[in-house]
Amino acid sequence: MTERFAAIALKIPDNSAFTARQALARLGIELGRVERSEVWRCDDAGESETFAHRVASNEAMFNPNKHRLTILTENRPRSGEVWIERRFTNDGDRLVKPIPGVEAARRYVGWRLFDRNGSPVHRPALEDAVRLLLCNPAIDEARYER
Amino acid sequence: MALRPDEIERIAEQLGRDPTDVELYAFDAQWSEHCSYKSSRRFLSRLPTTSPDVIVGPGEDAGIVRLGEHAGATYAIVVAHESHNHPSQVVPFEGAATGIGGVVRDVLCMGAHVIGVADPLRFGRTEDRDAHQRYVARSAVDGIGAYGNAIGVPNVAGDVYFEEGFDDNCLVNVVALGVLKESDIIHSAAPRGADGWDLVLVGKATDESGFGGASFSSVTLDEDDEEANKGAVQVPDPFLKNVLMRASYRVFEMLRERGVVAACKDLGAGGLMGCSAELASAGGYGAEIDLDRVNVAIDGLPPYVIAIGEAQERLLWAMPHAATAEVLRIYNEEFSLPQLSHNARASIVGRITAEKRYVLQHRGVAVMDVDIDVLTGKIADDLPYVECIRHQPAGAELPAVDVERVFPKILTHRDVCSREPLYRRYDWAVRGTTVLPRGAADAGVLAPVPGSRLGVALAVAGNPRYGAIDAAYAAEAAVLEATRRVIAVGARPVALTDCLNFGNPRDPEQYGMLASAVDGLARAARELGLPFVSGNVSLYNESAGGSAVPASAIVSCIGTIEDVGATILPGLQRAGSALLWVGSRELAAGGSVLADVLGITSNLPEISYDAERSAIAIVQRAMSAGVLLSCRAVGDGGMLTALARLAFDARAAGRDLGAELDFGNPFCETGGFLCEVSDDSELNLTGILKVGETIDRAQLVVNGTAFDVDELHKTWSRPLEELYR
Amino acid sequence: MKRRIAVLTFPGTNSEDETLRLLRDCGGDAYLVHWSRAEMLSQYDAYVLPGGFAYEDRIRAGAVAAFDPAMEYVIAGARSGKLVLGICNGAQILLEAGLVPGTGELRRPTAAFTDNRPSGHFICRHVYAKLAVDPDRSPITAGLPAGAVVPAYASNGEGCLTAPAQRLRELQDRGHVAFVYSHADGTLGEDAIPNGSALGCAGLLNVEGNILAIMPHPERDAWNFQHLERRIGEDALAPSGGAVLFRSFVEAVNR
Repeated sequence: MTERFAAIALKIPDNSAFTARQALARLGIELGRVERSEVWRCDDAGESETFAHRVASNEAMFNPNKHRLTILTENRPRSGEVWIERRFTNDGDRLVKPIPGVEAARRYVGWRLFDRNGSPVHRPALEDAVRLLLCNPAIDEARYER
Repeated sequence: MALRPDEIERIAEQLGRDPTDVELYAFDAQWSEHCSYKSSRRFLSRLPTTSPDVIVGPGEDAGIVRLGEHAGATYAIVVAHESHNHPSQVVPFEGAATGIGGVVRDVLCMGAHVIGVADPLRFGRTEDRDAHQRYVARSAVDGIGAYGNAIGVPNVAGDVYFEEGFDDNCLVNVVALGVLKESDIIHSAAPRGADGWDLVLVGKATDESGFGGASFSSVTLDEDDEEANKGAVQVPDPFLKNVLMRASYRVFEMLRERGVVAACKDLGAGGLMGCSAELASAGGYGAEIDLDRVNVAIDGLPPYVIAIGEAQERLLWAMPHAATAEVLRIYNEEFSLPQLSHNARASIVGRITAEKRYVLQHRGVAVMDVDIDVLTGKIADDLPYVECIRHQPAGAELPAVDVERVFPKILTHRDVCSREPLYRRYDWAVRGTTVLPRGAADAGVLAPVPGSRLGVALAVAGNPRYGAIDAAYAAEAAVLEATRRVIAVGARPVALTDCLNFGNPRDPEQYGMLASAVDGLARAARELGLPFVSGNVSLYNESAGGSAVPASAIVSCIGTIEDVGATILPGLQRAGSALLWVGSRELAAGGSVLADVLGITSNLPEISYDAERSAIAIVQRAMSAGVLLSCRAVGDGGMLTALARLAFDARAAGRDLGAELDFGNPFCETGGFLCEVSDDSELNLTGILKVGETIDRAQLVVNGTAFDVDELHKTWSRPLEELYR
Repeated sequence: MKRRIAVLTFPGTNSEDETLRLLRDCGGDAYLVHWSRAEMLSQYDAYVLPGGFAYEDRIRAGAVAAFDPAMEYVIAGARSGKLVLGICNGAQILLEAGLVPGTGELRRPTAAFTDNRPSGHFICRHVYAKLAVDPDRSPITAGLPAGAVVPAYASNGEGCLTAPAQRLRELQDRGHVAFVYSHADGTLGEDAIPNGSALGCAGLLNVEGNILAIMPHPERDAWNFQHLERRIGEDALAPSGGAVLFRSFVEAVNR
C-alpha cells in the first residue's frame, strides 16, 4: 500500500480562487495570485498502470477539458500552500472508489497563495489567511508544509 | 472552422475581395447552422405562429403570450426554448449549466423577471458503471442544479429519458419563463430613431472560453475532438448572473420611470459580433464597435476572439446617450459588477449607425467592414432529402398481460421510475411562487404575479421511443402530450415551443426526418389551435460513427390559469369517487414501455384530433362544473402508472387512498386522461368510460389483483437512487 | 411608529423578494438594503438575512459574506439588542460571523451548517420545523405556541449542523437548539431530517436570544397555494403555517 497524492486544478478560470483573493485583500492580505486545487490522498495498491493514468480515467474526478492533473512528488503541501480538510464529512472514499487499486482516499482543498512578486507567500501570511478566512475551526483542519 | 470552401468563395464574391481573418470568423459564426438555421428555415415557416394570445412570436430572443389582468395592468409570459446538447456531451456540468444561463438571458433581455425553468433531458443507458454516459447523466443534472439554484430560478418542470440512442449524444434542452407587464416589453431590434445610440456591453470580461461555440455546436461530435474542442467550453458564472439579473431588473425600472425606450439582446452564438449585428440590422441600421473598449479578461486577445468569443453572462443594450450614464452607474456601482468577477462591467463599446455597414475597429484599424445585410442576411442550404418512412413493423395482436408480474417491471422501468433523485437537487421552491411540488403533477404551476391569483403552467414532452419509429408521429404525439399535461393541472393551453434535435442534415434520411417532424408539429398545433412562439434547432446530433439520436422534436406547452386556487391538486382526493378514462380505447402498444418490457412490437396508437378535442372538452367541462378532483394525462407506463402516481401523490400529502381499477390492458399508452370525479351525473358520458373508483385504504386493486401503495412506491422510488446518490 | 426592518442582500442572495413580501404581509415595515448601501443599515431596527448563495458559497457557505463590510452593521446592531433573523444562507452567514451560537469570538465559528449527509448534495424538500425551546427563550419565537410546528422548505446543500461532540452537547444543554425537524404532527424521527443535521437541528439561537439562524425557509410555505397539504376549496392566497414565525418576528420587532 502506497500513499499517493494527486492535485486536480481547473484550467478554466477558477471563480473561487478569484473570490478568495478579493476577500483576503479586504482583510488586509494583498496577494498576486491564488491557486486552488482538490488534493486527493489515496491508499493505493495498484500496480498495473501508472497512478496518474488511473486517476485521469476517472471521469467523476478528472475531465481533461477543464482540469489539470498533477501527481505530487512530496506528500505534503508545497511552499505557500495549505490543505484544508473537513474533519467530519470527508467524502473521499465514496468518490474515488472507481479508481482501480485505490482502497481509500481523503480529499483536501489546497490553497496556494502567491505574493505580488509571484513568489509563494511566507508562513505567517499563510497562517493569517487560514485563520481569517480559509479554515472554519469548528469543522476544518489545516495542514501546512511541515 | 466549419465554413465550407464554397461558402468562403461566396463570402469573397459578396465582399468583392478576400475576407479578413475577423470577417472569416464572423461569417463562420453567422452562417453556422446554429445562427443561420440555413437548413431548417425552409421547414420552420410551416409552423403556425399566431393566435389572439400571442404578443411576440418567433423571431426575437423569446416569445411572449398574454397571461391576464391584475390591478389594471395586462401581464404577459415570456418563454424561450434552447438546447445545449453538444457542450453537455463533452463537459456536462458546464455545458448543462451554461444552457440554463443562455436561455435565462433570452427571457431577461425582453425586459422580464425570470420565474422558472424546465429541462427536457435525454441521456444514454447508464447501467455500465464505466460508461461516459453515466458521467454525463450525473454531471449534467449537477450543472443544471448548480446554476438554477444559484440564480434563484425554480426548476418547475421537465422530463428525462434514458435510451441507447443517446449514448453518444445526450440532449440537454432547457425552457425558461419570465413575467412582465405587456407595456414593459423591451425588444431586441434597434427602434426607429436609434441612429447614434450607444451600444453598451454588460457583464463578464470577454475571454477565450467559448470561442467557436456556434460552429462547434453545428458539427458532428468525434471523441478525438474533445480535447481540441475545449476552447469552446463555456464557463458558467451563476453568481455573476444572479447579480446581472437583479441589476438588469433595476435598469428596467429606471428606464420605465424615465420613459426611455431601449433595445436589449443576449450575447449568445457569435458573441458580441453576432449580437450587435443582429440588433442593429433588425432595425435597419448598421453598427460600429471599438474592440479596444470591450472589457477583456486578459490582454492580447486577438480581435476575432474579442468579437466572436462566447464568454457567458453578457448582455448588449442599445440606448440613447442620455440614459447611458445612469445605466453604467447601476451596473458598475450600485451592483458593483467589477468587484464580483475579474473585469466584469458595463461599458460603451460602440454605436448604432445610419449607414448599413458593420464595422469593427481594433487598435485604430478597421478589421471588419462589411455590408450588414450580407452578414445577417438569410442564407439557405437547399439540401436534398427523402420522404420519411414510418419504420414501424406490422403490429401483432397484443398478448394478454399478467398485471401482477408486469406492473413492478413497468414501475421500475428507467423511463417510468421516480425522478425525485434528480429534481430534489433542483431548488424548485425558490421565489416562493411554486404552486405544485416538482414532480408531483403533469405540469409545473407558478403564481408569478405577487398578490394576484394568475397562474402559469408549463409542461414538456417528446417521447424518444416514438421518435425511433416515426419522426412525424413523435412530433405530433409530443404536442398532444405536452398539451394534455397542461390541461391536467387545470390550465388553458395558450402556446407551444419546440426544439428540433436531429442528426446530420446532409444525410437525406435524417434531413427528411426533420422535415416530417416539422410537418407533424404543424399539423398537431393547427388541429389544437395553438401557436409556436419560440423554438430552436439543434442538428448534427450524431456520433462520428454516423449514428444519430432518435428523432427528437421536444415540445413545451404553456398554459394560463385565472385563479391558482383552482389548480387541480396532485393526488387522489377522497374515497368513493369515480375514476373515469377520457380517451381512446384502442389497445395498441407501439413505442410503449410495455412493448419494451415485453420485447414486442405493436401498432402505434392512432392519433385522432376529433377524439382529442372532445377529450379535452370533457375534462375542461368537469373542471368548470367543479367535479374534477384529480387528474393525470396518461403517458409512459399507461393508465395504471398514472393511477399509481395519483396514489403516490395522495400519500405524500398524508392521504391514505387507493383505487379499484378494471381495464383490459392498463399499460397501453394510448393518450387520454385519467380523472377522479366526485359526481359524474353532470357529465355527458359519451367518450367516457368509468374504469373504477377510489377507496379509503392505500391499495390498488387492478382487475382483481391487489397491490400495496407503500410497496409500489418503494419499487418505483428505487431505480435512480444509485445513479443520483 | 412601526420599527423598520432591513432585508439585507449580498451578491448571490436569491430569496429576498419573497422574504420581503412575507414580512410586509405580516405587518412589518420592511425594505431591501443592498450590500453596496450598507451604511444605511444603522438606521434600521432589525435585520433579516434571506437565503441564497452569497458570493456563491465560494470557500465555504457564508464565509465571504461574514466578512462583508455590511456585516459590521449587523454585528453592532445585534450587540445593542436588535433582532436578527437569518434564513438558510442567512443562517450560515450568522454562524460564520460567530453571532450564532455566539459562544466564541467573532468570526471564529464554533459550529457550522455544512455538507448535507449522507449525500453531500443539494436537497429541496418540504419539511416541518418544531419549536424545541420555551417560546419565551427568544422574543423572535415568543408569539409561537409551545412546541409549534412550522412548515417550511429545506433547500440547501449545506444544512447539516456540524460541530465537535462537546460543542454539540453545549448547544443542546444551553438552549441554543431552537428548532428541530419533525413530522407534520410534531413527532420526531430520522426520516424527518432532510440532511443528517446533528441533533436534528433546524435552527439555532444565540446566547441572548435576539438572533435566530434557521435553515429551512418558512417563507416558501407561507401562503396556501404553496402548502403541500392544502385542500380543495381553501383560499389560495390565505396565509399558511410558515407565516407564523414571520408574524412572531414582526411582533417582536414592533413590541
